Amino acid sequence: MAKTYDYLFKLLLIGDSGVGKTCVLFRFSEDAFNTTFISTIGIDFKIRTIELDGKKIKLQIWDTAGQERFRTITTAYYRGAMGIMLVYDITNEKSFENIKNWIRNIEENASADVEKMLLGNKCELEEKRQVSKERGEQLAVEYGIKFFETSAKASIRVEEAFFTLAKDIKTKMDKKLDEVMNYSWFKIQC
Amino acid sequence: MPENSADYSQEIDNGKNLRSVICKFCTSIILTPSTASFSSFEFDLPLMSQRKNDGNVETETVTTFWIVNDMFTFQNVGFSHTIGDKKYLTCADCEAGPIGYHDLSEKKMEEITAFIPHFSKAQIAVGTIVTYKQIAVAA
Repeated sequence: MAKTYDYLFKLLLIGDSGVGKTCVLFRFSEDAFNTTFISTIGIDFKIRTIELDGKKIKLQIWDTAGQERFRTITTAYYRGAMGIMLVYDITNEKSFENIKNWIRNIEENASADVEKMLLGNKCELEEKRQVSKERGEQLAVEYGIKFFETSAKASIRVEEAFFTLAKDIKTKMDKKLDEVMNYSWFKIQC
Repeated sequence: MPENSADYSQEIDNGKNLRSVICKFCTSIILTPSTASFSSFEFDLPLMSQRKNDGNVETETVTTFWIVNDMFTFQNVGFSHTIGDKKYLTCADCEAGPIGYHDLSEKKMEEITAFIPHFSKAQIAVGTIVTYKQIAVAA
């Protein structure tokens, strides 16, 4: 059967418990459903379809499902991941400090060229802020990754963050593909 | 047991969904037109809201489904954690569910099958939105 999409990207959400990762899993609706059956078992992953440069892109977005409580996310979880959203809570200093640990965990377990992005979530709670926007920006610069402050609850910049991550992965893939194609062409010429 | 003797024929074109299948609560697009096959069989799907919390899952028998053979056929959807050999499907936006299921034991030739009950979610092109009750009764 012919594929109905051009790209498939596996994305992960990583960060401490309670930073709102589950909400970042694209919850756009104002009145999120809280049904007893689904909320009891929890959501494993979501599939979202977006369009970039006229190409249809399927995003498969995984939540850590509480594994982060043990500070150990297994290599299996990282397998095949092309993008990682590192999420902290701007009202929780500890969750910000732990981003460094998460990055170490990623470096030890994930593919070296995985595309990363830093999200400071819950930016609707300005009065409870513990981590300034500047510190978030600075950390992102330190790691050479992009940074957004998001509010999953108020649907601020969450969609933009996912689009940006997807676009960066696509650019990287297209570039790699170009290199392979050029190399093949070179081989044929020889 | 719901009566599902509706006239679906107008929703089916060549065995496929004529129109988009959207969430009846938030109108998130679950399947785009002509991507799922109509099928009829019985399955006990857990109710969205459970009255009791005693471990017994209340279900309803659903008899009509849209089937896809590849999970990436979905435009937007959520997959629950596994219970037994099943994952349940939710709306990706409002997380209403279960709106269908995914049977891990029915994997064959790398193909994965997911089902969405026809009567509850099948809707309806831009414009008209038929409610759950109307469809269920009509069905």
